Amino acid sequence: MNVGVAHSEVNPNTRVMSSRGMWLTYALGVGMLHIVLLSIPFFSVPVAWTLTNVIHNLGMYVFLHAVKGTPFETPDQGKARLLTHWEQLDYGVQFTSSRKFFTISPIILYFLASFYTKYDPTHFILNTTSLLTVLIPKLPQLHGVRIFGINKY
Amino acid sequence: INHIVHNGGLYKRPFNEAFEETPMLVAVLTYVGYGVLTLFGYLRDFMRQWKIEKCQNATEREEQKDFVPLYQDFENFYNRNLYMRIRDSWNRPICSVPGAKVDMMERVSHDYNWTFTYTGRVIKDIINMGSYNYLGFAQKAGTCQKAAAKVLSHYGAGVCSTRQEMGNLDKHEELEKLVARFLGVESAMAYGMGFATNSMNIPALVGKGCLILSDELNHASLVLGARLSGATIRIFKHNNMQSLEKLLKDAIVHGQPRTRRPWKKILILVEGIYSMEGSIVRLPEVIALKKKYKSYLYLDEAHSIGALGPSGRGVVEYFGLSPEDVDVMMGTFTKSFGAAGGYIGGKKELIDYLRTYSHSAVYATSLSPPVVEQIITSMKCIMGEDGTTVGKARVQQLAENTRYFRRRLKEMGFIIYGNEDSPVVPLMLYMPAKIGAFGREMLKRNIGVVVVGFPATPIIESRARFCLSAAHTKEMLDTALKEINEVGDLLQLKYSRHRLVPLLDRPFDETTYEETED
Repeated sequence: MNVGVAHSEVNPNTRVMSSRGMWLTYALGVGMLHIVLLSIPFFSVPVAWTLTNVIHNLGMYVFLHAVKGTPFETPDQGKARLLTHWEQLDYGVQFTSSRKFFTISPIILYFLASFYTKYDPTHFILNTTSLLTVLIPKLPQLHGVRIFGINKY
Repeated sequence: INHIVHNGGLYKRPFNEAFEETPMLVAVLTYVGYGVLTLFGYLRDFMRQWKIEKCQNATEREEQKDFVPLYQDFENFYNRNLYMRIRDSWNRPICSVPGAKVDMMERVSHDYNWTFTYTGRVIKDIINMGSYNYLGFAQKAGTCQKAAAKVLSHYGAGVCSTRQEMGNLDKHEELEKLVARFLGVESAMAYGMGFATNSMNIPALVGKGCLILSDELNHASLVLGARLSGATIRIFKHNNMQSLEKLLKDAIVHGQPRTRRPWKKILILVEGIYSMEGSIVRLPEVIALKKKYKSYLYLDEAHSIGALGPSGRGVVEYFGLSPEDVDVMMGTFTKSFGAAGGYIGGKKELIDYLRTYSHSAVYATSLSPPVVEQIITSMKCIMGEDGTTVGKARVQQLAENTRYFRRRLKEMGFIIYGNEDSPVVPLMLYMPAKIGAFGREMLKRNIGVVVVGFPATPIIESRARFCLSAAHTKEMLDTALKEINEVGDLLQLKYSRHRLVPLLDRPFDETTYEETED
């Protein structure tokens, strides 16, 4: 049980993404990334947007779908040790509001990136593949699925 | 803000409890703080792995690298990258009795808190705002100490035996009669450990086929007892009576999960004062609900016995209710009585049953006689039976200290959680860096405080917790308040915008997800 802890929440990681101000912080973080990329003089606007999209999706993939377990010990005897943060959200209940938010936000970013790159073919391929790497793991059918055993343990 | 109107006269006194909402800017900055710490943590882990930085943590030997690792090193991430940096605010060694003032050994660290060395100096007379010393019985001299010393020379340190075998002394019977008289119940039983009182007796009371409704923020002992019992556990929002009523209604209408049979027993687990929030349970409403839906109530008065109520009899007296309404009154002797152990009070049939079936009665050693004598002396002092008015004066002093301290802190502009009358005062810090800074700055100014952060609290609600005591004089409180004011200005902790959101008016939404055990 949670000795030294003031609540009966077994895995606090499940509540982090729906706590107060997290969505706003996330949106501000993406905005900050975009402004930094726009400020670099070598990048044109389409390149900056594609880079925002790709870096955001890379970060999202690493932190939500690649890193497994919790950064602290939990009293659930390791049930969440092999689960990624996405799978831990809300104890695996699908279609909750934070899951919907984090599914929609890369799609919005994709729309904006496609618009600002004027639907150029190279940018399109880059943006679409990076969007797919971040959307496919979020499907409920892929909850707990590890393709080819990658990232299983 | 009082809720007498809402509850149709259940409350005889105003119930002022408020939890001010986190300001949005502060929440965003807190997440940014944790984000920066996480990124730096990954960087340092990377440097440690590639031997650019020396790894100070325990590592496996080279020969063991091919075996399956015993521990996942990611689980230690928070510990080595966040906790280690501010570790000097916790587990500080003291060298005097932790009364209103305490002496502490000074320690320094030359490698950023991985190891500590003692300078040899003892910091004297630190104002102790961290000990659960509500009535000031943590003294090393006085009537309690003399009586306990006499009993020690007479009875010895203890009979290493259980209550049912040879460990039952006349002192224990005397204590239990006294506790029953103090609480106003028929009978009581005392155990050696407060934690064990909860975790070993709840399994004796409920089992499979029963339902436990437990508050969100219940202590680990209650959670462990509930899990050990094998009953179904459902959690209601903290102190939220609509949530509790909804759960009760659903439970009675739908019955047990698959078979739809009626529940054998429904037990509501609440605490008198919640030590991390400083909130007091809404006991009149809980009792009204309990009577309406015919369930049982288990009240854990670990922090509220001795600390609330005009004569220190706990939260039941504070609300002016009858102790017969609470089925199981549990409490500990650790906080207000300066001793150790716990008790359970209730009807005679219940306590007789527990004397036979409780795990602690069968397997655990009984209370040690000097400790029993300390409890007896301090309880008699509180009740006034030792012929002085010291006990009553202490209870009143605690109430005055509580009101004064909370009022002054609120006026200064800090965000304070909890009820106006609870001696536990959580002061919100929010940001991870301020946790360490607050602890260290207060120690520099000779005040010892307890700071708590994530994951012991929700991620954006880290806090410093002050525990007031009847042993604190007004001068000590004024000194402490002056220093807190200074540190608050230095660290910019005065977030309050005086927009209080009382708990009842918070929108009650049903979107919390629990770990379901199938």
